[in-house]
Amino acid sequence: MKNTWAHFFIGSVQVTVQGRGTERLVNACLRSGVAVWNVRKIGEDKLTFFMLLKDVPRLRPIVRQSECKLSFGRRSGFPFLLKKTAANVGFLLGIFLFFAVVFLLSNMVWDVHVQGAKPETEHRILKELKQMGVEKGAFQFLLDPPEMIQKKLTDRIDTLTWVGVELRGTTFYFQVVEKKQPKEPEQLPVRHLVAKKKAVITDLFVEEGQPLVSVHDHVEKGQILVSGIIGKEGQTKVVPAKGKIFGETWYKSTVVLPLEAVFHVFTGKYVEKHYLSIQSFSIPVWGFQKRSFAHYETESQKRPLRFWKWELPIVYERVIYRETEQVKRSYTWNEAFQQAKKIARKELQAKLDDDASIKDEKVLHAEKENGKVKVEMYYEVHENIAQPQPIVQGD
Amino acid sequence: MKKWRQQVKKWLANQLELPADVVMDLPRVTMIGHIHIYIENHRGLLTFSDKELRLLLKQGQLLVRGEEFVIKTILPEEILLEGKIEQVIYLDQ
Repeated sequence: MKNTWAHFFIGSVQVTVQGRGTERLVNACLRSGVAVWNVRKIGEDKLTFFMLLKDVPRLRPIVRQSECKLSFGRRSGFPFLLKKTAANVGFLLGIFLFFAVVFLLSNMVWDVHVQGAKPETEHRILKELKQMGVEKGAFQFLLDPPEMIQKKLTDRIDTLTWVGVELRGTTFYFQVVEKKQPKEPEQLPVRHLVAKKKAVITDLFVEEGQPLVSVHDHVEKGQILVSGIIGKEGQTKVVPAKGKIFGETWYKSTVVLPLEAVFHVFTGKYVEKHYLSIQSFSIPVWGFQKRSFAHYETESQKRPLRFWKWELPIVYERVIYRETEQVKRSYTWNEAFQQAKKIARKELQAKLDDDASIKDEKVLHAEKENGKVKVEMYYEVHENIAQPQPIVQGD
Repeated sequence: MKKWRQQVKKWLANQLELPADVVMDLPRVTMIGHIHIYIENHRGLLTFSDKELRLLLKQGQLLVRGEEFVIKTILPEEILLEGKIEQVIYLDQ
């Protein structure tokens, strides 16, 4: 028995032959290799059978040699189906269009909701979102993932403490928590100001309280600088001491810097590729150019595609190849020494408050060992050394 | 001469225990109940109607009688017949 599946795809046709010697015609068919099945006698000299559509041209010479007449009956199979559908092409197009439209609409952003924001903040958020492409009618798979949007929003708008980004179906929900502008504490607890560390006082600026030290005094850590207890003996009053006491403090720092170092730097060149992936199988859809980078880093973003409310097993994937370059940095001893000094200063500055200033720096020690420069620095810094210490009352 | 060769073949088939249909070019007929008959090694269709099928063999003919016959498949050397089979007759010529 032949595979009926193959028959379906190739297409088969029912043939009726009428005349003398129909059996001979069947024999002739067999000899010339025309496959024949479902042979049936339907009359005195009438025979019907099925044959493949592709064998029809070979049947003609056989019939011509016989004394039979040929007529075609039922046609079945894929080629005929195709012909039929071609007549109803509009219908097929409609079905296809319907699915395409539903698919596209399922992957669009239909609404953007911002909750919990003041009108002006909301306006700013919407503006930022628009810049990122998040607005009505945008395609979801072209947008950044929600976590990324969240990060960008909080980075770009400084009045936001936190923003929750959620993509529910086709709607973006933004739950906003705004920063509260810090209010001046109305009631400070009563307190002293004490020294944060060992220092020599250079400047005093007392708003409230009784200063106990003066300029050029040497203070130890924890020593009371401004007392919160004011007034004469016997008529004392406790107040929250307030003020800034600048003192000269000293810092020591050590920096080790290798003379030679290798870095990976992005050159700025990149190639973007887009894929549709089903499980682990990826079909490239865009970006066919070859990447000719010797060194690169890949970054891939995956967005699931949706149909109606279901997530399809198809994932839209964007892969970005960024070219990197190896940069070798080498310093001479002198350069490294200067660089180390700079680094040390920067590190210190990061540690200090804004109102602190570095007055003087000294190199205590500098040496070269194993291709590294080791620098020990000494700094003189003027900074606010006052630190509040609450007064425990009732003692 | 032909007869003699046939006899040699028959003797060979017996002695060497070879299948007779291979050695002697005989038809192999397989029947499934009375609804299917499968004949290999035929030499062509002689007559066919819904009540009768006559096949040419290398030696003689095979006649199948019954009702509602349909040839399900026919190939140069094989035929599968479907219907109500009543008789299978060998005709020597």
